Amino acid sequence: MHISLKKEIERSNAGRVGLSLLLLVIAAAVLAPLLSSYDPGQQSVGSLLSPSGSHWLGTNHVGQDIWSQLLYGARTSLMVGFGVGIISLLLGILFGVSAALIGGLYDKIVMRVVDAFIVIPMVVVVILVAAYIKPDLPVLILLLAALSWQGGARVIRAQTLSLKESGHINASRMFGAGRFYVAWRHVLPDIVTILLVEFIYGVRRAVFMEAGLAFLGIGDPMLVSWGMMMRDAMSFSYLDVWQWWLVPAGVALSLTIIGLTFVSHAAEAALDPRLRGAEVA
Amino acid sequence: MLNRRNLVTYSIAFLFILALNFLMPRMMPGDPLSAIYGDEVLVAMAPEFKAHLVESFALDEPMWRQFGAYILALFQGDMGYSYYYNASVFSVIIGSLPWTLLVVGSSLVLSTLIGIALGIESGWRRGSRTDRTMLAGLMSLNGFPDFFLGLVLLLVFGVLMGIFPLAGALTPYSGLSGFSLVVDVMKHMALPVTALTLAHLAGVYLLTRNTMITVLKAPFMLTARAKGLSQRRLKYHHAGRNSMLPVLTVTGIWLGRLVTGALFVELVFAYPGVGYLTYQALLTRDYPLIQGIFLIVAIAVLIANFAVDLLYPKLDPRVSYAH
Amino acid sequence: MLEISNLQVSYGNDIVLNGVDLRLSGGESLAIIGESGTGKTTLGLSIMRLTEGKVRGSIRFDEKDLLTLSDGEMQAIRWNRVAMVFQNVNNVLNPVHSILDQVAEPMIEHKLRNKDEARTKAGELLEQFGLSQKRFSAYPHQLSGGEQQRVLLAMALANEPDLLILDEPLSSLDVITRGELGDLLRTVGNHRARLVITHDLDTASRLADNLAVLYGGKIVEIGPTREILQRPRHPYTKALLRAYPNMTTVKDLQGIKGRMTRPVSGCPFHPRCTQAIDICSETIPPLTWSQGRGVACHRGGIVTLLSVANLSKAFNSLKAVDSVNLHIESGETLALVGQSGSGKTTLAKTIMGVYPQFDGTVYLEGEKVTSYGKDFYKRVQMIFQNPGESLSHRLSVLESVMEPLEIQAIGTEEQRREKAIQTIGEVELSRSDDFLHTYPHHLSGGELQRVAIARALVLDPDLLIADEPTAFLDASVGAKVLKLLLNLQEHRGLSMLYITHDIAAARKVSDRIAVMLDGRIIEEGPSNMIVTAPEQSYTQHLLGSASSLHLDNYT
Repeated sequence: MHISLKKEIERSNAGRVGLSLLLLVIAAAVLAPLLSSYDPGQQSVGSLLSPSGSHWLGTNHVGQDIWSQLLYGARTSLMVGFGVGIISLLLGILFGVSAALIGGLYDKIVMRVVDAFIVIPMVVVVILVAAYIKPDLPVLILLLAALSWQGGARVIRAQTLSLKESGHINASRMFGAGRFYVAWRHVLPDIVTILLVEFIYGVRRAVFMEAGLAFLGIGDPMLVSWGMMMRDAMSFSYLDVWQWWLVPAGVALSLTIIGLTFVSHAAEAALDPRLRGAEVA
Repeated sequence: MLNRRNLVTYSIAFLFILALNFLMPRMMPGDPLSAIYGDEVLVAMAPEFKAHLVESFALDEPMWRQFGAYILALFQGDMGYSYYYNASVFSVIIGSLPWTLLVVGSSLVLSTLIGIALGIESGWRRGSRTDRTMLAGLMSLNGFPDFFLGLVLLLVFGVLMGIFPLAGALTPYSGLSGFSLVVDVMKHMALPVTALTLAHLAGVYLLTRNTMITVLKAPFMLTARAKGLSQRRLKYHHAGRNSMLPVLTVTGIWLGRLVTGALFVELVFAYPGVGYLTYQALLTRDYPLIQGIFLIVAIAVLIANFAVDLLYPKLDPRVSYAH
Repeated sequence: MLEISNLQVSYGNDIVLNGVDLRLSGGESLAIIGESGTGKTTLGLSIMRLTEGKVRGSIRFDEKDLLTLSDGEMQAIRWNRVAMVFQNVNNVLNPVHSILDQVAEPMIEHKLRNKDEARTKAGELLEQFGLSQKRFSAYPHQLSGGEQQRVLLAMALANEPDLLILDEPLSSLDVITRGELGDLLRTVGNHRARLVITHDLDTASRLADNLAVLYGGKIVEIGPTREILQRPRHPYTKALLRAYPNMTTVKDLQGIKGRMTRPVSGCPFHPRCTQAIDICSETIPPLTWSQGRGVACHRGGIVTLLSVANLSKAFNSLKAVDSVNLHIESGETLALVGQSGSGKTTLAKTIMGVYPQFDGTVYLEGEKVTSYGKDFYKRVQMIFQNPGESLSHRLSVLESVMEPLEIQAIGTEEQRREKAIQTIGEVELSRSDDFLHTYPHHLSGGELQRVAIARALVLDPDLLIADEPTAFLDASVGAKVLKLLLNLQEHRGLSMLYITHDIAAARKVSDRIAVMLDGRIIEEGPSNMIVTAPEQSYTQHLLGSASSLHLDNYT
């Protein structure tokens, strides 16, 4: 398959929109210190202030600048998102490729375990664990990754299996190539596109999870998170304050996820030629 | 399909849930009882009760004995005692479960029906304005987390427009019955169900649409057209019927997502289901309750998956029980 | 009932059907034969108006032009008046509905019967096609290929259409089932008009009384099936018959040179035709009718390349050749079989103009041959029994092969060299310098004969006369030479007069056989006929004593 994923994504409407949104969020995260004049954790005098010149989105219930929180919140989402995404992907590759190439009992065992995890709802497990272990950022990332690599592993295994039957892998085996060599030089390059798609899915899921868990009150209280902002804002829904506190956080979160959705849709379409063409996207 | 492979999977999942539930408190440093019940509670507990707990949990015995006691207790329906609610964990959860089932069930049915219907229409008219609009719209909708949707709905329809109630499953102390009770329940459940349905809809829609696009190219569609059948029959009886199947396959897996979503949505609407219960339990560090909820919810999802696996062959004749 | 005029169908820039005319009356059967890509399925789909391409022309069904009907009107016609049996591929039937439901469906949807009646009738149809009642609730994937084909056939007849279009109805079946279903189809479909679309001559001859040969989007030959198969008139039809393995033909399989390409100007077949002339690449030949047969060929069909009328040659009082009438068609091989002394070599030499005196006439492509000069020898060449003798010991391989070109003064020295070397490659000999400069006495018998063939071919003749070419060669070597001759015939569109005493070899390489005895041709006809049903006792005698392994001698 000689489709340049990058080109395909850039070509489709959805892809372009998605990428723009993502870039916006990434820019917000990276440039946060430049774009805001307050430290998000700093408590100033006035709490629940309306938006003004010095506080563009006003302040929250403990006097923190909401605009700053919004920007720094992007960092949390992206860090968790990409962190979980990468680790998930690596685990998925490790188990997916090995299961496909090694086969036999190992494959059977791995697949049963993978399927078992897929059936269990991730969030509930995290809630349980989080009740006991107060998770800080690294623990949260590891925990989420440990529970979300399975879906990708299945897909990667399937792809590897179909590649396994293809000629060039057999040919290299016939030259005496070891399994690791085969995986590195023959399998990975061919599944790169699918890995990318899985990665984007993973990031999206993780961003969603992190926000949700923060919303429930599970997460590192030291970190600024959009989920947490929404949770705090919720208690004050009887005041006007939700307009500039709740909504921006929610919208920021949604735009991030939408951006990821659109990009993954474009990537998916690039992979499956039947879905290409005559799309909005 | 139900077969040996799936049974193994479900068994592993079941064991994992049980094991995790068992091990979490016992792996914490310090007194296991304090891990199970929380320090604040222990302080207030009468010593005789504490001794009774130690005995029933077999806390001074080796691990495997503890596990045995744990399993035994479970089978007897004893999931521990919620100090906070002053009742057995089991009864507390059972009280909340029906509300969650109501919301999740309704959302599942609605989102599946609407999603499939829209997906069929979209796939049938692929490339048209209708299709492209629906696609863009639903993909965007897909990006909104359910709790945010819930919040927006609450604020717009509840706070601003005052059409729907702001919290709870029933109007408290109303003493309604019969038809007006049903109406009351529905009014309270309208927004949560809407939020959950909207969040879940897009996934169903996209899958159905994609399947529809593939199905329309299949040889039997040409055969059907040659038979001079009406467009309607082609769309629903032939293409539609085939396009529904993948959605039903993944319904089981997606159920987990719905349940999770319900957790968040209940929180937003203070809807007295298991989700809201979880939130309360976390706030008050009511460990036995958290554990009980975890167990019940996880196993419920497992059972639902199982049920879908059983039902699927009825709908897709290509799949049989024999493997 | 069905009249198609000037049907043109194209997909984008690709013209699939380029002006097809057809006529079919009620109860008649017509098979459309063509290889893949010729547009036959498109033809079927066009009648049902199910193609995605651009359609022009007219398809008249019962006085109405189907192409002008509205969707609603067309819907009413589909299945009720015209039904199609599609190719039996995976998923041609809906996988989630039972076969009974799918057969009953058109009756219900077109309001011909109510649900119960429809299901009963569907059951009857399925049984008629050999499916038992317990299979009725089965789903398509539970059926074997043969069973699925039966369902497709039963389903097509559900609404009792007047016209049945069958697309490869028997191709997915094993031979025995084919026979069974073929018979069933003939009985059940007898009073309906049938259009059979297939690439398979066996299917066509089983199911249809008439045959239309489709090539390059046009019909090149059309007429009664039996007649076409026995005496094809279009070069493509003849070549197709030669390429098709069946129990009737005895000649070895031969392909057709080149590949089908689109688009082609003029006659669609001309790039691969053995008798193409200038006009063939310029204009499309119209379908002309004679004697109940339609042929689309500028030359009126297969051309007779060489014919001799009343040819006689006597040496003093001995009549070596006695009133011989023969003809050889373009692109075919005629074997002249006879014992030594029968006059066959004399006949060949007479045709070649070795003897200045003879009686009778020789015609080359219809024109009388009055003098034997360069022109004649450019078109007719000969190779002899003993290559060692026919090649000069003084000339190297290259020189020998170049000689005819020098004699005819064709081209420059360089061009002649090139041509000679190319031809040497064609006869599968080495083109290395060493070999080109080898002298005959260093070569083996097989190599010598190949050099002789190369020499004969270097002028690009239309007819090659081969006089016992393998007589002096070992069996295996001889076999290769024969194979070479067949290949050359395929590639170059060569016609051949193959002279031999060995009827066993003759039938493997020839389209027709002429048996010669004492200077006369006593029997002549298609090889398979001569070999299986000879009329003359001499022929029978020849066959009886032909080379065989005599296995029944051993007990």
